Amino acid sequence: MKKIIEVKNLTKEYKSLKAVDDLSFDVYEGEILGLLGPNGSGKSTTINTILSLLNFSKGSIKIMGKEMTPDLYEVKKEIGVVFQEVAVFEELNVYDNIDYFCGLYISDRKLRKEYIQDALELVGLEEFQKYMPKQLSGGLLRRLNIACGIAHKPKIIFLDEPTVAVDPQSRNNIIEGIRTLRDRGATIVYTTHYMEEVEMLCDRIIILDKGHIIAEGTLDELKSLAKIEEKVTVEGIVLNNKCLEEINSFKNVQDMKYGADILVVTYKKGKNNLLELIDYLKDAKLQYDKIFSERPTLNDVFLELTGKDLRD
Amino acid sequence: MFIHNFKYALKTLFKNKMLIFWTFLFPIILGVFFNMAFSNIENSEKLEIIDIAIVDEEEYRVDDFYKEIFETLSSGDKKLFNVNYVSLEEAKDKLLEKEISGYIIYLDNPKLVVANSGINETVIRNVLEEIEDTKDIINNLVQLKVQEEILKNPEVLNYMESLTARIYEEAVNELNNVQVNVKDISKSNLSYTMIEYYTLIAMTCLYGGLLGMTAINKCLPNMSSNGKRVSIAPTKKSTMIVSSVLASYVVQLIGLSLLFLFTIFVIKVDYGRNLGLVVLLACVGSLAGLLLGVMIASVIKAHENLKLGIIISVTMLGCFLSGMMGITMKYLVDTKMPIVNKLNPASMITDGFYALYYYETTERYFFNIFSLLLVAGILFFISYMFLRRQKYDNI
Repeated sequence: MKKIIEVKNLTKEYKSLKAVDDLSFDVYEGEILGLLGPNGSGKSTTINTILSLLNFSKGSIKIMGKEMTPDLYEVKKEIGVVFQEVAVFEELNVYDNIDYFCGLYISDRKLRKEYIQDALELVGLEEFQKYMPKQLSGGLLRRLNIACGIAHKPKIIFLDEPTVAVDPQSRNNIIEGIRTLRDRGATIVYTTHYMEEVEMLCDRIIILDKGHIIAEGTLDELKSLAKIEEKVTVEGIVLNNKCLEEINSFKNVQDMKYGADILVVTYKKGKNNLLELIDYLKDAKLQYDKIFSERPTLNDVFLELTGKDLRD
Repeated sequence: MFIHNFKYALKTLFKNKMLIFWTFLFPIILGVFFNMAFSNIENSEKLEIIDIAIVDEEEYRVDDFYKEIFETLSSGDKKLFNVNYVSLEEAKDKLLEKEISGYIIYLDNPKLVVANSGINETVIRNVLEEIEDTKDIINNLVQLKVQEEILKNPEVLNYMESLTARIYEEAVNELNNVQVNVKDISKSNLSYTMIEYYTLIAMTCLYGGLLGMTAINKCLPNMSSNGKRVSIAPTKKSTMIVSSVLASYVVQLIGLSLLFLFTIFVIKVDYGRNLGLVVLLACVGSLAGLLLGVMIASVIKAHENLKLGIIISVTMLGCFLSGMMGITMKYLVDTKMPIVNKLNPASMITDGFYALYYYETTERYFFNIFSLLLVAGILFFISYMFLRRQKYDNI
């Protein structure tokens, strides 16, 4: 596949702090690459550096085969960015906001009008064209933020945590919109610390921590890095030490945590782990509210690799 | 791109309520308050026309100097005296009847006779003293000039009489010119209300800095999230900045025009005869104010509200020093620390208007215009240097 973005040995230092440390990765045409990591892991710095908003200490960045600089207008024309913070003018209504930012890329007014309508439709803001930003809810504002970033139909889109503090309806709308953009052929770099979104959207994932890449691959490849195969959670259960010891002695159990009436048991591998636990609880006549089994998540991968939670 | 950004910059500036308040409404509101407060003060402090009498005798009639001065002081819109030319007896009667505040009688020198001691009597006495002092100066000058002319042309002795008359006239003119310069720093020549309106315009010009700051912040990625979005667009930074600053200037000039219209037509401020020059000074002052905001926005890496505070503070301090909160301050700064007001854009604007209003010549006015242009040039240069190398650099 064709490389759209090539980042090699990128290092960004702030005095003694290395915000991005020797980062190398490629983004291929038409894919959605997820940059996953906790706050302060270097996701936004990486994006800002790629966009030439930040200078960098070492390394190189190529976009569409060209060394990226602040004056590389022919490449900038093909880029759309949705920043983490909402970047719209309070003084302009929804339509004018999109028109203003789109107009920085497209000077043909007729074409721009078409593009704006497409963007409004994509984010579901057709009915809110005349609304001022302060009249919009948080979710609608985020949608406007996205529309302003992608209305000019860019080939490369950077989405920096676009769903932060968004209601479920808007989140679904945004995620659907991103899928549509991908289907139209855009290459997308998506940063978030919501692993569910990454799992739903991304073709490939890079996990960042403290400016380093700690893992890279497809969802399945990454999940295989977690040394667990199953996680069973029992909610609303009261257990004594004897019961906990007995559960811990089951064949495939790797780890077990109990607190606030919630039991979480992780298994290295094996089949029928859930059935075994249900049988035990039934025989011991222990009451509980809910029991369920999960495959390892990206959070488990992160936990395995760094010893800490993604949302810490 | 230039027009697109210019159009939307205008739109956003006009819809920014905070900016419109400070640059459009606040000066007008302040103008209304000045009108209410200071016009009353000035009216109450206006001198009444004083009734006096001059004993009309031969000695007075032949003294052209006194005659001319009293004719000037008792005619025109700004006359100081109502002069009655009467006999000595009539003058005494009028004084007794309190029809006049005092009378002047010519003996060896003019003498003032008053019945009381009050403001009117003090004014008449001061005027007489001034006339005597001035007359002495002229006489000394005449003597000097005559001596010079005799030394240079001894043959003109025959024409001494006509020569003396000419020299006398020249000396009077020379003295008048000296008085013009003295006016410059004389507190008694400053009008409360006019100085307030001048500082009000100066303030409006400098508040243009708020518009300049907003225009720049919108384009800088380390100042606003919109700036980040603008910076990643395929447009030249210079195009964005110049079109935004130009839009700010247009908005500021509209604000100034409204202030002028309001003060001229609603509160009847008389800016003098040279309206073209008044407008020119306001435009140049606005440019300096605008660039002050541009410079602050470019140089200081701080939150927008802090920059806003700095611009408002600098503006208010400048206006304070140029006499907005009290005319005494301008007088004090002009006399004790003239360098402060020489560097103060608010004072340059105020002084430019003042020069235009009070003087026939435009020398002092253009000095202020060029000073403001110099300030604007320096501010532009500093801003340019910082904007050229500015990059987004925040975690």
